[in-house]
Amino acid sequence: MRTSKFNIPGLVTILVLLAGWEVLVRSGAAKFDYLPAPSGILLASGSLIVSGELFSQALHTVESILIGWTVAAAIGIGLGLALGLSPLLRRWSLASFEVLRPLPAIAFLPLALLLFNFSLTTELVLMIYASVWPVFINTMGGVMGVTSRLYDVSRTLRLSRMQTLVKVIVPAAAPAIVTGCRLSMGLTLVMAIVAEMIANPHGLGYAVISELQAMQPQRMFAYVLFIGMLSIALNAGLLWVSRHILRSHRWAHADHA
Amino acid sequence: MRKGQAINLQLIAALQYARGLLPLLLGLAIWQAFGPEKSPYFPPPSAWLDSIVFLARNGKLWPALAATVTTFAAGTGLACAIGFSLGLLIGRSRPLRRALGPLLEFCRGLPPPVLVPVAVLLLGYAESLKLLVVVWVSIWPVLLNTSMAIGQLDELLIDVSRTFHFNAVTTLRKIVAPAVVPAFLLGVRIAIPLAIIITLLVEMLTSVPGIGSLIVTSQRQFRPAEVYGLLVLVGILGLAVNAIFTSLERAVLKRWPPTLQ
Repeated sequence: MRTSKFNIPGLVTILVLLAGWEVLVRSGAAKFDYLPAPSGILLASGSLIVSGELFSQALHTVESILIGWTVAAAIGIGLGLALGLSPLLRRWSLASFEVLRPLPAIAFLPLALLLFNFSLTTELVLMIYASVWPVFINTMGGVMGVTSRLYDVSRTLRLSRMQTLVKVIVPAAAPAIVTGCRLSMGLTLVMAIVAEMIANPHGLGYAVISELQAMQPQRMFAYVLFIGMLSIALNAGLLWVSRHILRSHRWAHADHA
Repeated sequence: MRKGQAINLQLIAALQYARGLLPLLLGLAIWQAFGPEKSPYFPPPSAWLDSIVFLARNGKLWPALAATVTTFAAGTGLACAIGFSLGLLIGRSRPLRRALGPLLEFCRGLPPPVLVPVAVLLLGYAESLKLLVVVWVSIWPVLLNTSMAIGQLDELLIDVSRTFHFNAVTTLRKIVAPAVVPAFLLGVRIAIPLAIIITLLVEMLTSVPGIGSLIVTSQRQFRPAEVYGLLVLVGILGLAVNAIFTSLERAVLKRWPPTLQ
């Protein structure tokens, strides 16, 4: 490919757009009462960083994301392995899961509020319900996709059931499992923000809402910007980690070649 | 005779599928049997049904349901139409794709819920706000999937249009658009759950009429049966939307070669 690795036109587009936004707001041409200029947002971001508010709110969100994500991944991998390995279990329960899956997680928010009040539990319940699904579905698909040749190998080597699971099935399904975990991280962040807006007055989601109510558009936009950056950083980080994990499992793909 | 056999086979297949529902039904039955009628947390399923019937009778349910479904359908429809057309335009030009790439990726990467407060700040608590936020959120997967599929288009297809001396519009209509439809549909599949979530979230946060605000009201007034009932209603809505889209997708993709599906 001729194009250089660094995307200069892309950067220029964003800078031009920001400059246009600044000019529109400064000149008063923008008709919105509360639209801050990019320079104002930048200043507000600076003061939020210096005062440590940003850090403490981000810490809460990141902590709850990590807890929720770990629990969701554990449940999802467990369920996915169980249903992927046992056709019997699949026959007698998969339809129940398929009925529950399209249920929008956000509809659980009022129920979780009713049961657990304004608390971290409410936030976690919501996050876990939403993010179990991609892990579960991908793990099950990955396990069901393990070719019968690999089972033959484990039989030839006289591996026990546990050894087959740990040494053959899980590594072969690893790419699908890792993809599921990566997808669910995005959902965990989305649901954490939703829960913090409505149900648990802590963290970045709550910060956005409270700045809205305090009519502090510059600070609100600073938080929005930071949430966007957090989301992109989490996704990029996980993509990097998953490539790393999968590299050591490359032999699992040998079957496709 | 043969027709009768086919129906029998269908029946058997349906029953085989239905046995998978047993754990869910069993769970609900146990709940019904042991859940105390007036429980503040776990009212039995029959109480959920009663409360939904009550809401329907006193005229609160239908307007809310209509508002939610309208916002969702209009929002998704607009997002698909705009996303597909913009995706085609952006995808056709490599420099444009490159120049807008980081911006579009940022827009997609931004967690959708944070846009609700932004819209409230700029537009106030207006009805139009609902539609705007839903469109803004669900447009990105559609747009990016469409334009990326064009980037991966087989050069051979473009050569075909050159051989036939097609002009730009005909190429777009006859060669490019059909080739990216499967990717576009995949984008719509990602956009639909986002649109449902955001429709409900806007209703919850701003109290504009809809199922979202109805559930929050029930919760604030401590009417648990209503909360459960509405939750099931939303679930049925999600299932219905999923079923409708899956059958639409199947009907459309039937006309595409299997390699592109």
